[in-house]
Amino acid sequence: MSDSDRARETSEQPDRTGVEDAAPAEAEKESEADVAREPDRKPESERDAITVDEEKDDARKIVTGEARYTADYRDRFPDLAHGKVVRSDIAHGYVESVDTSAAEAMDGVDAVITPFDDVVPHKLYSSSGQSYPEPSPWDLKVLREHVRFVGDPVAAVAADDPETADRAARKIEVEYRELDAVFDPEEAFDDDAPQLFEADDVENKQSGADYSRNLESHFEGELGDVEAAFERASNDEERHVIETEWETPYQSHCVPEPHTTIAYTDEDDRHTFITATQVPFHTRRQIAHLFDVPIRDVRVKKPRIGAGFGSKQEMAIEPIAFALHLAAGRPVKLEMSRQEEFTALRFRHPMRMQMRTAVTDDGDIEAMDLYTLSNTGAYGTHGMTVANNVGTKPLPIYPRVPNVRFSGDVVHTNLPMGAAMRGYGAPQGHFAVEAHMDEVARRLDFDPIEFRLQNAVREGDLDRSVAILKDGDRFTREIRSCGIRECVERGREVIGYDDLEQPESDHLHRGVGMALIAQGSGVAGKELGAAQVQMNEDGSFHLQVGGVDTGTGADTMFSQIAAEVLGCTPEDIVVIAADTDLTPFDYGAYASSTTYISGRAVKNAAEDAKERLLEWGSNLLDEPPDVLDTGDGGVYSERSGNRVSLEEIGYEATYGDDEREHILGDGNHSTDESPPPYGAQFVDVTVDTETGEYELNKLVFAADCGVAINPALVEGQIEGGEHMSLEYATSGDLTFDEDGNPEVLGFRQYGMPRTTDHPEMETILVETHEPTGPFGAKSIAELPTNGVPPALSNAIRDAVGVRLTDLPFTAEDVTAALHEQSAGDE
Amino acid sequence: MEIELEINGVEQTVEASKSDSLLDVLRRNGYTGAKRGCDTGACGFCTVHVDGEPVKSCVEPVTKVRDASVETIEGLGEQDDLHPVQQAFVDNTALQCGFCIPGMIMRATALLETNPDPTEQEVREALSDNLCRCTGYKKIVEAVLDAAERMDGGTVAADGGKAFEGNERVANSTECAVNDCDCMEGGQ
Repeated sequence: MSDSDRARETSEQPDRTGVEDAAPAEAEKESEADVAREPDRKPESERDAITVDEEKDDARKIVTGEARYTADYRDRFPDLAHGKVVRSDIAHGYVESVDTSAAEAMDGVDAVITPFDDVVPHKLYSSSGQSYPEPSPWDLKVLREHVRFVGDPVAAVAADDPETADRAARKIEVEYRELDAVFDPEEAFDDDAPQLFEADDVENKQSGADYSRNLESHFEGELGDVEAAFERASNDEERHVIETEWETPYQSHCVPEPHTTIAYTDEDDRHTFITATQVPFHTRRQIAHLFDVPIRDVRVKKPRIGAGFGSKQEMAIEPIAFALHLAAGRPVKLEMSRQEEFTALRFRHPMRMQMRTAVTDDGDIEAMDLYTLSNTGAYGTHGMTVANNVGTKPLPIYPRVPNVRFSGDVVHTNLPMGAAMRGYGAPQGHFAVEAHMDEVARRLDFDPIEFRLQNAVREGDLDRSVAILKDGDRFTREIRSCGIRECVERGREVIGYDDLEQPESDHLHRGVGMALIAQGSGVAGKELGAAQVQMNEDGSFHLQVGGVDTGTGADTMFSQIAAEVLGCTPEDIVVIAADTDLTPFDYGAYASSTTYISGRAVKNAAEDAKERLLEWGSNLLDEPPDVLDTGDGGVYSERSGNRVSLEEIGYEATYGDDEREHILGDGNHSTDESPPPYGAQFVDVTVDTETGEYELNKLVFAADCGVAINPALVEGQIEGGEHMSLEYATSGDLTFDEDGNPEVLGFRQYGMPRTTDHPEMETILVETHEPTGPFGAKSIAELPTNGVPPALSNAIRDAVGVRLTDLPFTAEDVTAALHEQSAGDE
Repeated sequence: MEIELEINGVEQTVEASKSDSLLDVLRRNGYTGAKRGCDTGACGFCTVHVDGEPVKSCVEPVTKVRDASVETIEGLGEQDDLHPVQQAFVDNTALQCGFCIPGMIMRATALLETNPDPTEQEVREALSDNLCRCTGYKKIVEAVLDAAERMDGGTVAADGGKAFEGNERVANSTECAVNDCDCMEGGQ
């Protein structure tokens, strides 16, 4: 396999600018030479539509209940049928027969489909919303004869109303031939473990697959000579080798809007999906593949969606909805229940990790060695690529470490499938790396922050660890923007790191922990965004963009970038997005790519249109285009000060006597770059040594996402990301009984934090300028999901001296660790 | 069967089956602002008011709301004439995907009707049955506190229609229909 097959979803490379960690005050007084070198870079005083808390363009629709999500389109379809999926209630086996007669005999049942029907595709596919060819294995079928976990879809019903569909689904009788199942990823490796796949059940292009050992992928990469470095360190009194182990659980996306799809064929015989997806164009391609229809005959429309967080970077239910539609001959809506979301859809992969470092007495890290064992569950969607990011996201925090090894195994078990989830392996990896680094510092008596900063990334560093799993140096990246030191300094001050007051009670102990954070901005070398700008005669614009707003405010961000270029207001931009019939192509909303990739495509499109605006302005003002610029709703001359409004240009271009032109601009963006945004997560905790209970007093997150296009929306990303990270650290987990039956069926059993569970949060934006990003922007969406587990582990260590290594942390864990500590002291 | 009830001030007769929840009936009749997030009363996305009380409509049998007065998000304010709570959510960027927001706003308006000047802790407790996955709740709590301040002194709803319990309507409400207007502050 090629290296690009092997590590497709790992991150990328950026470029850098001058001053190291320039404070905002200093950024203001950047020299004109800097600005000339980077025409993209604007001091704050010259920004009109960016770095502005522009009102989110759908905000009024949302607060009045008028925003339409997929299920809200039901009134457009008078003959809509409602789907229901029948799922496996055993963990492993074969469907021997399906008796659908009772269901089919019911009034109001329109279609029943099983794995044995011709209308259901029998091809293999991957549900991962990844670029073609998907690095994830093709190991799925739409309905499954061979079921591999409790929740696998085996049949489906469409009926006139949801209640009839539910009742009919319950009347379908499935007979299974049960097989032994395996639930522990280490046991799944055993020679005598039940095997989930035969090699020819799967098309797998990833490295190291061995289905006889339930291994979806094995991967490894090395820089320098790791063994030699550890050998040297273990034989030298001035060097230390420290090894730690970490474990993380399943996490649910808790996506607010359950996966929902309406599938129908329109009057032009085109197959149309209104669907809650992050990846309309990948879904279009995958549907075409599965159902043997031309791509051009498939249309995927993304309406407002109730977030994704990676769970909708999947073609999870669209094929079932479409097969039901074909069988019923009517439009079909398929809407998942919350129980299905918690048991049968997609999750963050549970992992076990080992981290080892060699460190000198001077605090220099000489070698890092990280291994992860990922439980991908029954199927391999995003299995290898998520595990790749366990290393390739956090290890680049320390790019000057000369010897680095990163390896992993991705193993199948008869449990639900891991998939993409916000952070994409980085939350697991940051837990191992950043809690390990803290532990090293404390054992060797270094200040945990100073030890990190001594080794941490700086502008100008050459980062090879991001490409450790790839051959060659195409994806080695130069760090062109890095505010990590300012993030630490400002966060440290706000959290009160240096003057923490201890509670008066003897059994209460307060501590502060910190974790450094990095992510990427899109998938290096595997992204494409495109956009088109069309001018209306009144001086407004239509912006067609493939980029996908999952609720983050991306459409608003697009309008701000376009407005900044075109010299109008964001309200003058009508955004049409994420409809495969109406908008240019886009890979979709994942890997923190939307601002950096799709936003840059928008900027390119707007700049293309701007050239035509200046040309028309030149004609109307009778001045050369190179003295003209756009701003304040017009084109103006920097030489004479004369101006012509965009409206005048619009009318003249559209209806002029001599020449006419529809002013258009198009833009693409694809790149090998993926500059990392950086952050520092601080946690202030009080631990009760009598009960083991702990209370978070405050979370502080300082973020360097380059230039924040819309600071309020950026803060929202950070606060929401910390929410998920808080859950990961303290309360989120899925459990299963000994037969693989899920024990968490809904919000009541799952520990999603509520308003009353959240500590005070403070957010700090540290501005840097990323020269490869649109107006200096990097990414933000995933960065803040990475920090609370390591920072909380470090804070508890700071407070009471024990190290928690297994998420989520419970009071019992604290108590057990304290007992172990006092036993060790005796 | 037929159920008579009042929705946003309009008396209606709706078709329903015995097993329908209030949410089923609302959504079938075009009131899709209330969202289906769990169907078990665990997320709060479907929160509406029944006779002035916040209820999770997905677990409220429609047979229980016969002749009741139901208020949904659709009855609160218009896009260009928002209720102060809606306006505060917009101005504080207290929303992302928006799926939880109609329920959150209905919960918040119910709180402010009974407690017009809540503390942050009271806001957090009042909203604790309503989940949000996107925001970390910070801006939502800030928006509700901001709304309380905007409505301080008995400012009427932005739609000009309805006074809040515990705050006797004052005259000159039309001037204060400006959504983010503070002119009523202390003016009562």
